[in-house]
Amino acid sequence: MSARIAVACVSLAAGIAGTMFGPVFGWWRLVPSIAVGVLAVILVAEICRRVPALAAWRPVIATVAGLLGVVELELWDTTLAGLPTAATGQALLTGVTDSWQLALESTWPTRADAGLLLFVPLVVLVAAVLGVELLRWPVLAVLPSLAVLGLSQMFAALTGIAAITAALVYAAVVAVLFAVSRPGARHSRTVALAVPTVVLGLCAAIAVPLLAPSDPAYSLQDNRSARTPLPRTTNPLAEIAARLEQPETPVFTYTGGAPVDRWRLVVLEEFTGTRWTAPQRYRHLGERVGPAAGAPVTPRSARVTMPDGGPWLPSQAMPATVTGVAPLIDPASGMLLLPETTGPVDYELSWWEPEIDTAALADAKIDASVPPGGLGAVPPAVADLARTATAGAPPSFRAALVLERHLQQNYRAATGTGLPTGHGWSHLREFLLDTRQGTSEQFAAAYVALARLAGIPARLAVGFRAPQGGTGPVVVRNKDVLAWPEVAVAGLGWVPLDPMGAASGPGRVPTPLAAATAKVRAELPPPSDRDTPPPADGPHAAAPEQPDDGPATLLVLLGLLLIGIVGAVPLAKAIRTAVRRRRGGVHGVVSAWWEARDLLRTHGEPATPGTTVRDLAGTATGATVAHELLELAAEVDLALWSSTGATDRGLTAAWDAVRGVRRGLARRPLPDRVRAAFNPRSLLGQRFSHSVPSSAHGKYPKRRIVPAASSLRR
Amino acid sequence: MTQARSVPAGEVYERIAANVTRVVHGKPEVVRLAVAAMLSEGHLLIEDVPGVGKTTLARCLARSISGSWNRIQFTPDLLPGDITGVQIYHQNDNAFVFHPGAVFANVVLADEINRGTPKTQSALLEVMAERTVTVDAVRHEVPQPFLVVATQNPIDMGGTYRLPEAQLDRFLMRLPIGYPDLRAEMSVIMADSSGMEPDDLPAVVDIPTMIGAVSQVRAVEVSTGVIEYAATIAAATRQHPELRYGASPRGSIALVRAAKGLAATHGRPFVTPDDIKDVAHPVLEHRLILTTDAELARRTAGQIVDTVLAEVALPVMSAARV
Repeated sequence: MSARIAVACVSLAAGIAGTMFGPVFGWWRLVPSIAVGVLAVILVAEICRRVPALAAWRPVIATVAGLLGVVELELWDTTLAGLPTAATGQALLTGVTDSWQLALESTWPTRADAGLLLFVPLVVLVAAVLGVELLRWPVLAVLPSLAVLGLSQMFAALTGIAAITAALVYAAVVAVLFAVSRPGARHSRTVALAVPTVVLGLCAAIAVPLLAPSDPAYSLQDNRSARTPLPRTTNPLAEIAARLEQPETPVFTYTGGAPVDRWRLVVLEEFTGTRWTAPQRYRHLGERVGPAAGAPVTPRSARVTMPDGGPWLPSQAMPATVTGVAPLIDPASGMLLLPETTGPVDYELSWWEPEIDTAALADAKIDASVPPGGLGAVPPAVADLARTATAGAPPSFRAALVLERHLQQNYRAATGTGLPTGHGWSHLREFLLDTRQGTSEQFAAAYVALARLAGIPARLAVGFRAPQGGTGPVVVRNKDVLAWPEVAVAGLGWVPLDPMGAASGPGRVPTPLAAATAKVRAELPPPSDRDTPPPADGPHAAAPEQPDDGPATLLVLLGLLLIGIVGAVPLAKAIRTAVRRRRGGVHGVVSAWWEARDLLRTHGEPATPGTTVRDLAGTATGATVAHELLELAAEVDLALWSSTGATDRGLTAAWDAVRGVRRGLARRPLPDRVRAAFNPRSLLGQRFSHSVPSSAHGKYPKRRIVPAASSLRR
Repeated sequence: MTQARSVPAGEVYERIAANVTRVVHGKPEVVRLAVAAMLSEGHLLIEDVPGVGKTTLARCLARSISGSWNRIQFTPDLLPGDITGVQIYHQNDNAFVFHPGAVFANVVLADEINRGTPKTQSALLEVMAERTVTVDAVRHEVPQPFLVVATQNPIDMGGTYRLPEAQLDRFLMRLPIGYPDLRAEMSVIMADSSGMEPDDLPAVVDIPTMIGAVSQVRAVEVSTGVIEYAATIAAATRQHPELRYGASPRGSIALVRAAKGLAATHGRPFVTPDDIKDVAHPVLEHRLILTTDAELARRTAGQIVDTVLAEVALPVMSAARV
């Protein structure tokens, strides 16, 4: 009975570890596929208990049964009335190789797609099978599920109540496993120590981050983006003038009751002095994207139809879901990208609209954690202009509005034909210092450049302003094209501004954020009344340096890889030994012989397909193992070559001899033992052949007669 | 017909080995293999350089058995009739009467066999294979048990005739003796001073006991896996690129027979792959004929047997896959 409970516990531990991928895929989405694998392992273990002939094949049967369960549940579409096909195999293979990467390249929770989550039930299945096979050593049996647990936390670390609950449940299951696996007084001490240790360790792991909160937990998803090749299209910023030349051309239509003031296509963050580029951090859009931390939000939605397709889809700052298409998304800017689309696109977009308190916005500081962004080679006169435009004010949202007002009051929007184009420093210098006239392209680009010079983190968005509202679908035309700047405000996120004064107007319903911004803008003191703040040390002085965690991440990954590689060899050997140890009869005795041979091979002793136990006894370095090997040889000879065959006593004696060999090898120098422990030689197999290559001549030692089995037979 | 006497074959070996090692020092493996050949009803060719104790070993083996034994000193002028026997005309009876040659004994010591001419050497072919001698169309059986223990010097020395392959194939084993190690050589010198000679050795096994031991060896169990292993080794020699001729099926049979004898000397009622490997060199080496290229490359049959033994997988692969 205790063995059954142990099997259930170790399988359950793997299942619990698997469910901790919940933040990635959604809690309930994972449970069925994990449960089917765990149940398959438990069921197969029970069957093998009742049918001893199947015991040796238990891991294989359990794996196959678990795979079948996962296939029926997740890959039914690839089967032929439930029977796996080549497509099923391909899907499973893809699940092993690609699904974990796709999951990392998606926003979380991911879409309900088997191609994304397939690796989780597979990993849980492997952990459960390994755990059951290692039940002889309960501590080792827990390791596979712990590995799954660690992997899940590297994907998305649980926090708070969820973390505490998961840790306690896992610890409870492991405690039961230890309790039933090691009954008796001697082992109860182990349990008494192990259970509190596990519980305290897990609780400490949870409590430390809570007591000393720091940066967001590390995730494998960090700095990872979709591998989909991005389109090479014209920068929408450069298309503004051309669009304004054909103002009535419709671009897209949308339907929705929520107030909208702008639709964004792209957000450009990097400026080299000549080019503005968008960040390449797209991810596959998952089931739903949560709102950014900060102000309270309200869900909004609209249906958008683009007759000419993408690749960029009109979007909002914080998209939540997209139905109808499966675009890539940059969660930080709200950009939606559909790289390989042709023809019309129709989709339902929902987003989070921030509810901004005017007072909070008025006193807001800029977000110092946002990198200031590049500027290229700044013309000297422009740097002076930035200082003048903000009167040297320290970076703040009010300073941003002062700069916005400066542009609104001192520069004019160009109209008619022959509109100015260009957004590099040469064009911006001409706009700022000479012509003082431009489109939103120059206004927005100049604002972002001046803001960055003033120490205000800013970025440039390109899209369309919402036309005057009405009932029914709203048609957005070329004349609505607009570029605008956004500044990073601490605690509130990116706030769009309007240096050209074109985004708002009569008949348009402002969003809560636009309304709050307008109120703060209206409350700005006149330019003559403003205080003269102390001069800043420099345009970039306010921007704190961001720690570069790239090397640390690389080191962590390398460390994990190293641990995986180093730990894999001893683990594989332990599993192999466990499998061999469970065999009975002749196979058990031969397994003992192979175990001894592999032990010696890892210590550098030569062995060929023709090497017998006595050969090893004669050639093994050091007499410490020779006697044990001769004892083993006697048992192997009796089991394999005599009519006596294998007996339980012989099997026990054979494995006793293997233990003797192990003890003998343990007396070798520590460097030799360490080298042997991680030597994968015995795992790589060897070539067995009846043909003899001529190149092999002379490399084998001359055989010598060793003592007979009869001299050792008891 | 002599009645067999049931003494365990292992004990027979112990008696003979203990007797022989009173004179032959430091070569227990050679003695064991030699006795194994005797118990397997095989003939023994002891080959090595002069002075290492070939003849002494052969004499000791012959003296240890209480049956008849003859010594034939092979010389270039030795005639086949001297070995097999001749028909002599008796005037009184007006008939030809067969006078048995030296081979009519339980143990025949053919000393320096490669100093006899090929014609004379060939006189041993029939008796070694069939244990009969045919003279003038009349077959004469030799006494049982029958064992030829021959000695020869390496064939690259002068005044010798290389044994034909057919002759070599009739020897179950070809045993080199080798130089003794320092301690063994000291024992040899001291034994020489004490004056112990092979002729001084008593017979420790009588003929019925020997026949009984031979019967026990025939009954030693050989599993199918071991037979497969022996056949595979022989087949591997036939496929070896450095061998013009590998071991014949007679070689496979000899391999198993010798292994049975060796198992019996260990007191073991079954043969193991270790037995096959232990007898592989003395049984196979003299049956292998190297290619010219291999000889020019100074390859030896022993080296090739070593590689074959190392590369041929143990029958455990088919007996129990793990």
